[in-house]
Amino acid sequence: MKAIMHIVEHDLRNFFRYKWWLVGLISMNLADLFIMAIVYNYMVSSAVIAQYDTYFKFFAPGLTVTGLFASAFMIGREINMERRREVHHYMLSLPMTRMELAIGRVLSGGIRGMIYMSPLLLTCFVFLGFPTVWELLVILIVLFLMALGISGLSIAIAVSTASLEKFITARGLVYYTLFFCSSVFYPLSLIQQLGAEGKFPAPLVILAEVNPLSSASDMIRSFLLPDLPAFSYTSILNVVVFSAIFILSAAFAYIKILER
Amino acid sequence: MPSIIQISNLTKKFGNIVAVDHLDLEVEDGEILGLLGPNGAGKTTTILMLATVIRPTEGTATVGGFDIRKNPEKVRELFGIVFQEPKMLWVSTPWDIVNWHAKVCGLSTEERKRRVKEVLESLDMWEHRRKNVHALSGGMRKRVELAKVLVQRPKIAIVDEPTAQIDVVGKHRVWNMLRRLRDEGSTLILATNELYEADELSDRVAIMHRGKLLVCDTPKTLKDSIVGGDIVEIQLENDASAKIVEELKNFKEVVNILQVKPCILRLYLNKVEEVVPKIMNTLVKKNVPVTSIHMSEPSLDDVFAHYTGLTIEEAQKSGE
Ligand SMILES: Nc1ncnc2c1ncn2[C@@H]1O[C@H](COP(=O)(O)OP(=O)(O)OP(=O)(O)O)[C@@H](O)[C@H]1O
Ligand SMILES: [Mg+2]
Repeated sequence: MKAIMHIVEHDLRNFFRYKWWLVGLISMNLADLFIMAIVYNYMVSSAVIAQYDTYFKFFAPGLTVTGLFASAFMIGREINMERRREVHHYMLSLPMTRMELAIGRVLSGGIRGMIYMSPLLLTCFVFLGFPTVWELLVILIVLFLMALGISGLSIAIAVSTASLEKFITARGLVYYTLFFCSSVFYPLSLIQQLGAEGKFPAPLVILAEVNPLSSASDMIRSFLLPDLPAFSYTSILNVVVFSAIFILSAAFAYIKILER
Repeated sequence: MPSIIQISNLTKKFGNIVAVDHLDLEVEDGEILGLLGPNGAGKTTTILMLATVIRPTEGTATVGGFDIRKNPEKVRELFGIVFQEPKMLWVSTPWDIVNWHAKVCGLSTEERKRRVKEVLESLDMWEHRRKNVHALSGGMRKRVELAKVLVQRPKIAIVDEPTAQIDVVGKHRVWNMLRRLRDEGSTLILATNELYEADELSDRVAIMHRGKLLVCDTPKTLKDSIVGGDIVEIQLENDASAKIVEELKNFKEVVNILQVKPCILRLYLNKVEEVVPKIMNTLVKKNVPVTSIHMSEPSLDDVFAHYTGLTIEEAQKSGE
């Protein structure tokens, strides 16, 4: 347990070494939010967005999830770098179990995601409305669970790709598939409608439906916006399954691949 | 003395390369064991296996009674490692690196603060403690790597090329610190390809070559074991021909000749007082002018050459 805290401390310290860079990134995210909201408000058919009032209100939760994704994913980049510089030999020589090391790494990625995301989430609250205490709790738990899953996913990719280029390519692929096929940028109902009309491949529609990014964005929307149908708690299952799979695969990859 | 590490049949293959080849070796409690060998001999690979960082292909070792395959967690608690290449993220700082390491190894807050300061000061790194690693020189990075283990004072310290890249004054200071570590009760494994360093520090020296252990004993026994207990180095004005080398080998007192450089011959021989005048006469007769002649005792260089059949220069080349 102590060992896990040490790993988390290690990774958080490295995260905060980039604090100005992070502040810059978050500001850019927020700028994106306001600019895109204005532009898209005119571009996206008002019928699609009407439920949400404005595109801004629709997009803000999506962007929050995006920020969470990107920052939780950063741990993978560091682990990939450690591996290339063989710093992992040092990590593996420390007096702790492989499991403690793996859990510590996944946990750090998740916590870093939550820290980065919090200003974005706060922006949502300010412009969309504040949740109840219960809703806030659910939001934080679900997002943290998702951050752990993303962290795990990035670690699994990081240890199974040897070079930085491969890691970045894989990351891009994951980013675009997961974001394109989700309700981050446009409502799930739109994707489903396009699917029914045959304009969007059916497997991708299914992916969008089970995508934890969709579930998380829609959860925040339904809690913060007054006129949406009540949130269906079963969609949290998507997040739980996603996280379970990738936390486990990260731990497994980290233990098996690094030790060769 | 009881042994704290028993290595038996330890083997590591990387594809076709046999980096460590059925190694058997014991390390005694409280000694400094020098692990000597040319580049690529398998020193670092052996160390990484002992430290449970990489898995052996075959064989095993017990460390402090724990098997490295069955009880890796217990084994890791005994070790502190100075890696050959400093293992640190470049955005980090010396103080953070050493302090965090000490924390992970379980030093109390008070002891940690005191020892981190003490060690960084004695390595001349205290004033650089807040710099980023990428702004440090190679030697400074190595000092930080050393500081981790000097602060930790592990039961068994593994130091891989501890003074590579460190300047002369620093070298002597590091050697003293390593000796003190042993005197305070740690066992040390010192991997190096510097013979002088191995000779200075080691209680016993193990010579490795191509993954195999060639010999292991005290530096003195090893030096004494060399046949042709006297060494004469003759520097010629011109490069020595094969013929002249043959000629010298005909003396029955001459046991072996190494051509260290084209114009330098190193003769291992007996009865030096009698044979040197004869050799000089022969050289004069053959019209081979001599620049200088130098007599010496065997060093670990000679032990190394004797067991590997290579001069240090050749060994270094073949390892690359
Ligand atoms: N990860 C690896 N993959 C493939 N081959 C390796 C790997 N690590 C080491 N080797 C090979 O194993 C052999 C032994 O290497 P090792 O690093 O143990 O030598 P060394 O004695 O430490 O040499 P040096 O004095 O240069 O540090 C070399 O031939 C090396 O090329
Ligand atoms: Mg080495």
